[in-house]
Amino acid sequence: MKTVLEAKQLNKYFTKPVEFHVLKDINLTIRSGEFASIIGPSGSGKSTLLYVLSSLDREYDGDVLFNGIELKSLPNHELAHLRNKSIGFIFQFHYLLADFTALDNVLLPGLKLGALTHEDLEEKAMQKLDLLGIADQAHKKINRLSGGQQQRVSIARALINEPRIIFCDEPTGNLDSKNAKTVFDTLKNLTREFDQTILMVTHDDAFSAETDRQIQLLDGKIIDETS
Amino acid sequence: MNKFPILKIVITHLTSRKRQTIVSMLGVTFGITVFIFQAGVITGLQDFFIEKTINSTAHIEIFRDKNQKSPPILQKVYSENDTWITVPNIKSKNELPKLKRGLQIVDILESYPEVDGVSPSLSTQAIFKTGVADVSGIINGVDIRKENRLFDLEKDMVSGSIIRLETVNNGIILGSGLSESMGAELNDNITVVSPGGVALQMKVVGILETGLRELDNSRAYSSIRNTQKLMNVTGTYITDIKIKLKDVDQSGVLAKEFEARFTYTAEDWKQANEGIFSVFRIQNIVTYLVIISILLVSGFGIFNILSMMIYEKMNDIAILKSIGYTDVDIRNIFLLEALIIGFIGGFFGLIIGFMISWITSIIPTNIEGFVSSEYLNINFDPAFYLLAFLFGLVATGIAGYLPAKKASKIDPINIIRSQ
Repeated sequence: MKTVLEAKQLNKYFTKPVEFHVLKDINLTIRSGEFASIIGPSGSGKSTLLYVLSSLDREYDGDVLFNGIELKSLPNHELAHLRNKSIGFIFQFHYLLADFTALDNVLLPGLKLGALTHEDLEEKAMQKLDLLGIADQAHKKINRLSGGQQQRVSIARALINEPRIIFCDEPTGNLDSKNAKTVFDTLKNLTREFDQTILMVTHDDAFSAETDRQIQLLDGKIIDETS
Repeated sequence: MNKFPILKIVITHLTSRKRQTIVSMLGVTFGITVFIFQAGVITGLQDFFIEKTINSTAHIEIFRDKNQKSPPILQKVYSENDTWITVPNIKSKNELPKLKRGLQIVDILESYPEVDGVSPSLSTQAIFKTGVADVSGIINGVDIRKENRLFDLEKDMVSGSIIRLETVNNGIILGSGLSESMGAELNDNITVVSPGGVALQMKVVGILETGLRELDNSRAYSSIRNTQKLMNVTGTYITDIKIKLKDVDQSGVLAKEFEARFTYTAEDWKQANEGIFSVFRIQNIVTYLVIISILLVSGFGIFNILSMMIYEKMNDIAILKSIGYTDVDIRNIFLLEALIIGFIGGFFGLIIGFMISWITSIIPTNIEGFVSSEYLNINFDPAFYLLAFLFGLVATGIAGYLPAKKASKIDPINIIRSQ
């Protein structure tokens, strides 16, 4: 299988308030089509690892290769293009533009990419919303939707440009168990039916157990990998 | 790149914070309104004054400078280096301010192609009397047809007619202020007394109002002949030659030429009104300072509101960056917001500025200053409107650029991690 993401001898330090070694000698490879989860107790560096791997945080030692390209070496505008085209994000808090409708939020990355005409893009966005079962909410403003619906809008937004990989930071962390189940099942579905690569941070063992591979972190070190 | 999402984000930002947007637009509107109104009133007044001045004073006036002091004659014998000379109580030779061969100079001037008209005249101080009232003023002896051709006196007549100066023996035309202060009306008989002590009975054949107060309060016209009688001089005696040119802008150059040729002082209208022009310059500086400070204040307003907006929109900026919007996109969003505020605010500023100017221009004000006019003369020059608008856009552009630049530098990881 093709490698999407590779970390070599990755180390990360926080300097404030005191120097702290967060990630220690991480070596990790994510392959195309994988549904992987990062697990571990709070403070083990799960989210930090995800931010580094997902190009958001570029202050680290070692190498992170995305499609073979070292992230630190990318100039800002190329990094923006990479995020736009090849990366999807789903965060714990929904991170949508509150003044816009659900449909507009899904359209935003697609409009930036500019690969499709506005009509085609809108049709595609509606398909994604339909896939997630919230097509009827498309023209409502974000702040009129429930937490679960909002999270599904962010999944649709992450999917719109058909990224190589989707990074999820506790996607179910802020939801009640019923909504959490729906969101998780949706993500799982994407990997099974559409061969979507997903790397997810979670502290919910029930969910992580259902992923292809669990990467277990403790005190900034990978202590166990099962697949 | 597709500009649509940026425009859409901009419009959503502006409409979701309506009150903030309107307040910052009002700042620009107010600045531009004041700009338009103040520039219109000040330059309108100046234009009015200049036009009146050009119409009622000569482009060039040739006369003998009366303030020439004759140096002590001893200086011709003893050079200054060897001998100290003191001569107390020097009096100038009794030289009349006559232009020698004045009428020949008039003929020469008339042959210049640049010259539109020439009017010889003589003037003297005089006391005007009716009954017990006496007022001092200046009496001009003129060839009324030539003078009228130069200054269009007929247009400024409030009563009587200029041609009666030729038909009525001992006729006189009075400035409106002069006639008022002595209580003389049309067809009244008045007495004019010259500094030399000659008194003449004259009949008021016309009253004249130019709108320039200083002139209207002191000036009177009579024929050359009568004025010569008053001054007790011969028939070729003239003291001033007034010249109108076809192109007023040539007055400076030609004045120098005439001065060299005829060896008399030739003063162009700008020199003659130097005092007023320096007042105008100071006035203009003050006007622009006021305008610039108003635009600065509204610029700071926009700067503040955009800075606050960016603070509120930190989340949006982080989201947009994480889904692939570049630094430049983010900068453009906030810069465009500033420019739209400037554009719409400026547009309303132009309209309100125009309306206030227009209303002011149709309300009778009856100003009695150094010019008198029934209405305020306001300048509606489109160049001001364009300048004001550009000024507004540049000010908002600069005020918006700084916070926009700051927004583009925001790193999404700092926002996402802090949640």
